Amino acid sequence: MIPAKKVLNTLHEHWSVLELLFKRFKMTDFSAKDVQSIIKHKNPQWTSERIFKETNRLLNQEIIIPLAKSSQLEINRAIADFASFLLQEENLGLAEEITVLVKDLERLGLRLHQAGDEGDFSELRRFSRIMDERVRKIVKLFEHNESAIFNLVEQAKSDNSNLSLQKRYKAVIEAFDEYIEPMLEMVDIRGPFHACFIMIEQQISNQIENIELFGRGARDKRMLEQLRTRILDMHLVGRESLRKSADMLMPLREELRRNTLITRQAAKVLGLIRKNGVDRMLTSVQPEFVSDIQRFSLGQQRHMVAYMASLAQFEHADYELPDSTDVPAYQSPNIPDYNDVRLSFTKKFANSGAKRQALLDFLNEQYPSLDADEMLFLYQKLISDQQFELHQDTERTKVSINGNTFALYPFNASTVQE
Amino acid sequence: MAIPLRFTRLMQVQYKNKIMTQINLSELSELQAINKKLVSGHHISEQDTTLWQQLDQHIDAYQALFNALGHDLQHDSRGFYYLASDESTPNMGKISRAIALTVFILIEHYANQGKDPLRALFDEVADLELMQTLVQLNKHLFDQLEIFSGSDLRKDVYLRMVRLGLAKEVEQGFVHLAPVYRYIDALMEVNEGSFDGLEEEV
Repeated sequence: MIPAKKVLNTLHEHWSVLELLFKRFKMTDFSAKDVQSIIKHKNPQWTSERIFKETNRLLNQEIIIPLAKSSQLEINRAIADFASFLLQEENLGLAEEITVLVKDLERLGLRLHQAGDEGDFSELRRFSRIMDERVRKIVKLFEHNESAIFNLVEQAKSDNSNLSLQKRYKAVIEAFDEYIEPMLEMVDIRGPFHACFIMIEQQISNQIENIELFGRGARDKRMLEQLRTRILDMHLVGRESLRKSADMLMPLREELRRNTLITRQAAKVLGLIRKNGVDRMLTSVQPEFVSDIQRFSLGQQRHMVAYMASLAQFEHADYELPDSTDVPAYQSPNIPDYNDVRLSFTKKFANSGAKRQALLDFLNEQYPSLDADEMLFLYQKLISDQQFELHQDTERTKVSINGNTFALYPFNASTVQE
Repeated sequence: MAIPLRFTRLMQVQYKNKIMTQINLSELSELQAINKKLVSGHHISEQDTTLWQQLDQHIDAYQALFNALGHDLQHDSRGFYYLASDESTPNMGKISRAIALTVFILIEHYANQGKDPLRALFDEVADLELMQTLVQLNKHLFDQLEIFSGSDLRKDVYLRMVRLGLAKEVEQGFVHLAPVYRYIDALMEVNEGSFDGLEEEV
């Protein structure tokens, strides 16, 4: 058993080599020499010793395996499948494959139903698991076949040999007759495929209802629901995929399609775009425009050059910081220390007892020389002092401090809590 | 960048190989309009009759003038003038890609219908219905360019094509103009070899 991670690492390191091997030899065999020359081609700076070692590594990890009774090699089937999935180079499967799986699904559905009726929950679980597996497989086949048909069509369209139409489209017509037609028949609304799904869905729904009714096997409910969704989804995926494939094959089959140089090229390029992505494929060939926007940005090389040129002419000029002598001397506000104010306030009201007295009057009396803002600062501080019990007047009064007039609801001191 | 039009005395411009060309600015009466269109990426084709005639008559003078301004005025014999550029901003690049994809898909679409793709491309009107069909059939490709519907295609591709002089709006939809040939040239340029080279760099 070779650790999966090791194999993945090797695949990652040698992907370009494997891709080339896969493209060049597809399903045929090749010699160890071929592998070595491809590794050499991809890594020209490697020594022959290293190349030999890497070839052995591929062999040891069974990524390439020797053909039976021969010194020739081939790509491990599992790896080849994986690569064909990644590169979307799939080959068309058989319609029968799907038919068999669907029939099996029908059988399993029946068993599931039985198990549910008998209340055998471990069986129920087992069957729903198997069905789940089958459904996934069918969806995979649909996708696989769709991409295979894409490839077929592309090849037929971009083939520029001077074969007759009949010959050029042979593979396409075959694909249509042997895959699309039977499949279309199957997914037809009145076809067996559809009936089978309706039945299975009904059965599963019944099981779910039973579970809801009797509350037994609540854990299985989720699983069944998932299965039901998956089956419905599969039906949809299948129809979509077939419709798409048929759309693509139809013009070729009907020999409607014009096959000029330009259309061949368009088909080829679109095929490449489909596999490699729009941006990667088109960036190198698309026509460029001069654009007004470009003139106002640094996007283009000539803009960069102009910018650099202006940088070269840049002259350093010191920024003059203000001198310390220029700054007017700091004048501290003429506020007396709050602790003193507080102390005198406490003293004054300890003597006056419970008599009401306006706070501002007190401050005015005590510090007649203070400015209005400084006075108000002290006033504010006294108000927010938790220690004094102060009451706010309900009437608005006008107070004048040092020539400024204020309208406020003044605070009055009644008692002092000590 | 704009050149004062009333600057009528003879202006001397250094042109290729240091040959002195005499340009009589009073003859280039459409200079301002032409400059404005070209520097915004617009292609001037025969539909812009006055401008095209001006360019056609005084192509040497215009070429020399734009050359001196750091542009490369190109005349395509299929009937259009444009400023060639070999680099582009990312945004313009994206627009150009979307146009390229649309043109290629249209060619494919017309071919599938049994029409001569080139003739159909220039003769037929691209209406909203066609755009919807195109997007629907090639969802996986247009998704990559964030075009999800026929009206997206109209807004993001066709209206921009109009601005670039690649198409013109008619009653039913849009008609492609001769500058679309730039995309067909680009299409013919692609081959697997050039792409493999690109892949190595990545």
